[in-house]
Amino acid sequence: MGRGRVRAEPLELILYQSDAGTARGQASVVCFPESIDDLSFAIRAANRHCVSFVARGSGTGLAGGATPVANSLVIVMTRMNRILEVDPVGRVAWVEPGVLNLDLTRSVRHLGLHYAPDPSSQQACTIGGNVGTNAGGPHCLSAGVTSAHVLAADVVLGNGDIVRLGGLEPDAIGYDLRGCFVGSEGTMGIAGSIAVRLTPDPPETRTLLADFTSVDAAAETVSGIIAEGIVPAALEMMDAPITRLVEEFVGAGYPLDAEAVLLIEVTGLIGGVDAEVDAIRRVALERGARQVKVAITEQDRMLLWKGRKSAFGAIAKVAPDYYLHDIVVPRTRLVEVLKRVYEIADEQNLLVMNVFHAGDGNLHPLFVFDGSEPGIWERVYAAGDGIIQACLDAGGVLSGEHGIGLEKRDYMSLAYSAEDLDAQARLRDAFDPDGFANPEKILPTGSRCGEMKRAPEGTWV
Amino acid sequence: MTILGLNPDELAGCVGCGLCLPHCPTYRVTGLESASPRGRINAMRAVEGGAPISSEFTAILEACIQCRGCETACPSSVQYGHMAETAMVAIATRRPITRRVFDRILYRHVLPKHYVLLLGTWALVVAQRLHIVPKRFGVPPISTSSLRRSLSSDAFPTVFLYTGCVMDAWQRDVHRAAMKVMRAMGASVGLPGHGGSCCGALHVHAGRRSDAQRLAVAVVASMPGEIPVVVDSAGCGAALKDYGRLLGTPEAIAFSARVRDFTEWVVETGLPKMLSSNKTVVVQDPCHLRHVQHAETSVRTALSASYRLLETDDDALCCGAGGIYSITHPEIARQVRDRKVAAIRAAAGSDEVTVASANPGCAMFLSAAGLDVRHPAELLAAVIEEDNE
Repeated sequence: MGRGRVRAEPLELILYQSDAGTARGQASVVCFPESIDDLSFAIRAANRHCVSFVARGSGTGLAGGATPVANSLVIVMTRMNRILEVDPVGRVAWVEPGVLNLDLTRSVRHLGLHYAPDPSSQQACTIGGNVGTNAGGPHCLSAGVTSAHVLAADVVLGNGDIVRLGGLEPDAIGYDLRGCFVGSEGTMGIAGSIAVRLTPDPPETRTLLADFTSVDAAAETVSGIIAEGIVPAALEMMDAPITRLVEEFVGAGYPLDAEAVLLIEVTGLIGGVDAEVDAIRRVALERGARQVKVAITEQDRMLLWKGRKSAFGAIAKVAPDYYLHDIVVPRTRLVEVLKRVYEIADEQNLLVMNVFHAGDGNLHPLFVFDGSEPGIWERVYAAGDGIIQACLDAGGVLSGEHGIGLEKRDYMSLAYSAEDLDAQARLRDAFDPDGFANPEKILPTGSRCGEMKRAPEGTWV
Repeated sequence: MTILGLNPDELAGCVGCGLCLPHCPTYRVTGLESASPRGRINAMRAVEGGAPISSEFTAILEACIQCRGCETACPSSVQYGHMAETAMVAIATRRPITRRVFDRILYRHVLPKHYVLLLGTWALVVAQRLHIVPKRFGVPPISTSSLRRSLSSDAFPTVFLYTGCVMDAWQRDVHRAAMKVMRAMGASVGLPGHGGSCCGALHVHAGRRSDAQRLAVAVVASMPGEIPVVVDSAGCGAALKDYGRLLGTPEAIAFSARVRDFTEWVVETGLPKMLSSNKTVVVQDPCHLRHVQHAETSVRTALSASYRLLETDDDALCCGAGGIYSITHPEIARQVRDRKVAAIRAAAGSDEVTVASANPGCAMFLSAAGLDVRHPAELLAAVIEEDNE
């Protein structure tokens, strides 16, 4: 692939052993393709040497999706970061996977457009990684998650073949293979270019901050707003510890004595947003909000969002390690599941902070601890087990947006039957029959009925 | 004592979230984890955990421009700059002998000895006239008439202007502009006494902390009393403000508290009367002004009274100059500068653009790319209404 684009220095390999989550692996080689042909070449080379491969964007994932297992080749997509084509009329852009989410929005801002999915890490994360995890974000409440914004992708499959999945035409014929690929976390191949939908900027935006003296009142307000028939552009909740932490960083005017705050954004035409602001204010006050403030300036608005989106990065001020969960529950069960989360933290004597997409019922309990404390990881994992059980009991699902990766893999059998898992394994095999693409992720070992197609771990070393 | 001498708590402060990555100029142009703040911190952790201080480790840390943009971006306020400076101390003592000799001459005998630097500058002027200075070094055309005349101090100063080493040799006209503005505002300007000619910022970045401490003591001694110390070089200003930590003495802490960037002092003192200019200026934030001194607002307050200011849409990313970085890592520095120049031109909407930059290194490096770069002091001096008393 050329000088400087394949690297295997010992220290460098250490830097690629994990993403922003907790799972560690070991890379054998790291390479940096600069085109889809490079990417295909790298994958074919890996095939020839019977080495599995894993794609990595900015390494901001939290589920271990980019963690190399089985001495994988790590394919780093950061140099494939060109915006290839922007069609402002059709509102479509073709981009390479290494383009940063926020960079894409910035580059089309002058056209009055933006890329709607906005994960908290949007300033750092890549579109390719977003496609891999089917990422969400605060504004996905009204706009839909990544899958709703990916029209097509040119994908390099596990054997190095390049195929186009999906298309720009409004109603593609045949099975929605694009839909299978989005969220497949690199287990079906790696995208070399992606066609994304661009969204027009709303004419008016109002951002509200409601503060509460109880978490329950805040959670009830969430359901109340939706029941009112309003779907805000974003509806986020933060509890007291995390609010204090982010306020220290951004100084956006978050109340330091509130038990919970809701950050609510409504967009639309001027008359509409003002009516919605009034309705939301009423609903919140009825349910015990102390006050509901509307951000006056764009600067105030940006600071509030900066605070929300910096939340989990700020926790090192409290302790050096965190475990950020990602579960989704029906919105109507929010209050009870949230209560259970606090109980579980108490049972395990752990500090938990909650910052999440309340409107979607997408919870992000964040455990904050010092990993060097003896026995702490066992308690953290036990709490994780408890949270997942509580979520499934309430009719929820394992992941809202971070993906399954390594982190949730072994919980899959709690959520799916053996038949379900086998069907999923066979779907995966259709894209990557030899199992070279990001092995050991998503599906637990033994998902396939009958024989194991893949060689056991260690064979390729 | 750990291998690199890093504070374990400081090192544990990074949770690895990656929000710093887009704010790191070297990561932006290379896409390498090893060229990112998170990667460098993990490399330091690996060494503290037993990995050797290899040439690979040295290269990883040396490829950092030390702009500290990551610190502003970090929600956990990780003190990356301090850790990198500490790790550089361990690296500096393990360099090959030829490099150590070169470093010793540069850091011990050229930068701190002002007459040597001035002599060297005259040699450089001759070389420039003979057209034998490679363009890529980015040395600005040096004015001999400026170099011939020294600056004159006022009696009974009410404020010091810190003049520095390279800046006094290569950009003395900026000091003249600053003094003109300060005097127009009613100040009597004093200059540092003997021995205060080099602030030691480059020494700190190169891991020569004890050299830097010696220079800092001399700088503190060269500007006694309690009057403000105004600095018109963002890099030097950041260094002077950090003396409290570098030396840890009560005198140094008191001294650092007196230090102001030029525009900070102008704004605090009360803006002078200015003529309005119809000129448009793109503001470039020198990293050590924005990320270390956090004085980016005062530049804008001071200039916006007279000029129409435009902002770049690049998160104020570094320009690539970085002290001597543009000479030690010309390839990365050039790529970083290309991004900056593109952002500046996009902000201005044209190629004809005036840039305000409060740091000599940035100014020289950006000028070498063909931009018209002015120090805020020069821009203010051009529009100031002088009293006719």
